[in-house]
Amino acid sequence: MYGMIHRAVRQMVFDELGEDAWLALEHKLGIGPTELLTGMVYDDALTIAIISEASARLNISVDACLFEFGRYWIKYAERGSLASIMNFTGQDLASFIENLDRLHLAVGAAMPGARLPSFTTISKAPGQLMVEYRSDRTGLEQFVLGLFDGLITRFGATGDVMIAEHKADSIIFELQYQDGS
Amino acid sequence: MLLTFTEQQLASLLPAYLRLDSSLHIKAMGPSVVEHMPDIQIGMRCTDVFDFVHTDIEEFFDNTQGVKPIRLVSRCGRTHLFGAAVFDKTGCILAVRHVLSEESMNNGTLYMNDFGYADPVVLSTMLISLQRAMLEESQATAIELAHERERSASLLERTGRVAGYMGHDFNNLLSIIRLNADRLLRKFGHDEKISNLAQIIRETAARGSNITQSLMKLSQQQTDTLLPIVIDDLIRGNDTFLNSVVGSGITFDIDLQAANAESVISYNGLLNCIINLLINAREAMPHGGLISLSTSITRGLATSTSDSGDTEPSAYIAICVADSGSGMNEALLSRAFEPLFSSKPKGTGLGLASVRDFAKEMGGDVWLESQVGEGTTVYLHLPLANPSTETQMAPEFVKSADAPAIGTRHILLVEDEPYALEALAEMLEAEGYAVTPCASGEQAMHALEQQAYHLLLTDIVMPGQPGTEIARLAKLSQPSIKTILMSGYVPDSASLEPGWMFIRKPMDSDELLRLVASAV
Repeated sequence: MYGMIHRAVRQMVFDELGEDAWLALEHKLGIGPTELLTGMVYDDALTIAIISEASARLNISVDACLFEFGRYWIKYAERGSLASIMNFTGQDLASFIENLDRLHLAVGAAMPGARLPSFTTISKAPGQLMVEYRSDRTGLEQFVLGLFDGLITRFGATGDVMIAEHKADSIIFELQYQDGS
Repeated sequence: MLLTFTEQQLASLLPAYLRLDSSLHIKAMGPSVVEHMPDIQIGMRCTDVFDFVHTDIEEFFDNTQGVKPIRLVSRCGRTHLFGAAVFDKTGCILAVRHVLSEESMNNGTLYMNDFGYADPVVLSTMLISLQRAMLEESQATAIELAHERERSASLLERTGRVAGYMGHDFNNLLSIIRLNADRLLRKFGHDEKISNLAQIIRETAARGSNITQSLMKLSQQQTDTLLPIVIDDLIRGNDTFLNSVVGSGITFDIDLQAANAESVISYNGLLNCIINLLINAREAMPHGGLISLSTSITRGLATSTSDSGDTEPSAYIAICVADSGSGMNEALLSRAFEPLFSSKPKGTGLGLASVRDFAKEMGGDVWLESQVGEGTTVYLHLPLANPSTETQMAPEFVKSADAPAIGTRHILLVEDEPYALEALAEMLEAEGYAVTPCASGEQAMHALEQQAYHLLLTDIVMPGQPGTEIARLAKLSQPSIKTILMSGYVPDSASLEPGWMFIRKPMDSDELLRLVASAV
């Protein structure tokens, strides 16, 4: 994954456990600032190793850590330099998810080599979305669940996200939510 | 080919479109107009709710042929739209879209759904925004890396300082061992057993010295031994090597006229300077030419300008390196000594800068004269070891001929390590010098008040006054006194002055005695 993701993991560890915990993680994995270069695409094995070390330090499972990181990524993106892009992508949950592929088109153009997923809204009803997720990566379902959960929170709603179906080359996620206020 | 779109299809492609009838009333509009301009209603006359920018409305709608570019601003909310008017028999379609900027993305006034699926402005504007975001993150990373580097440099500096002081302490111990092994050899060297044991101690101390050299490298210690050196001898002793530096295809002429004149310098430092100057001269002549290296004793100002404040003419050893190469113009000449500046494609810009640093450290100066097409001459001036011998004297008399008899040469010896002090005093006295041993700067100051000395031989790092301060005060009270500093470590705070000699601990007794003899 690209360095911006690594920077976000670092920030999550900073926020939850403090700088020393991150420095210990860096020391354990033998990494440093050169593994945090925003536009650089790194081997997924490194990203998973970082998440795995973070989960050990947060005292949660890797799956739980991926979920939490998915939620954290939304917060990280909306409060940092990606805020304007997040705002532009959609004014509500449904339109945001519908526009994710257009957002990723720009990300792909800006970061050649990034392997980006695809999201297709296959059905839309009040308080419910069915979204098909395609990616050539595996093992990131919990991360995607966390992303959707983070998005529900971002748009002031409450709800649940679950995997509705595992297909041969895609996964269907079901989002059930109630708008806030 | 005729394409027909439903209003819904049109809305997907152009979310801000407007359909007008022939009398310019709004018949339909896209969802983005509804969203952002809620005051606009179906049936309103377009010209009542929009201003048309740089367009004469009557003329624009008089001629209803083909496609015409158009730009309009809503009177309510000042929303900007631009695109084209496409006419048909029922009226026209304003195929327009919002003007997207980073500002409208930042303040959340426009969303991706306000633009058609295939609208390229979305991709390009998002790309710009993403790249700006990446740039911000990259700048943050660059700052982190710079801080990391600062931390590493600071750690290295602290480690180096600790290594330097450790090296100093070890060198002091090794110095005591070595000097006392020499004492054993001098006193009992006739006894083969004792001689062998003393040799073992000396050799072991020498091996220990190699370890301390590694520590000193970590401490970045650069101070070479500084001793009076006959410049002509140095050049003569290396002429074969210097010839090889110049290489074939260039005539190399050496003219040494400084005879036995000495300057207190680092041997390797001067040799490096001459090599640098010869390499520069060679590279100025890719098609061959003449390089001349000459020495002389010159009376004049020490520096090329009077800005150093040294305006008293005096005698200097002048080393000149002249080439018949392409020369330099004024612009190049003015930057020639600038660190990291080079006129050569693969030049490092360190050669001349290091020559200037060396010359200044040794109390001299270096400058250039050059003419485009005629060549360049470098003048390197170094102070004479004994400035009282002036140019009116023949070079062979530069070394003092009426030096006092050895027994009348008084040496003020300052060393805080008692065993080293004892060994040094005994060694010097054995050579016939009159030695006043002092264990501190305070004792040395008192001794200086009592009598005149030919030489101050002092350690640098000591409790209380450091050797460099003792040397400065000694020079003030006895201007003719010569100075030899000795240390295993020279702290940054202890800057050496031109003319002071320096020998690194642990010292070789013979080398120290040679240095003392040459000084007095």
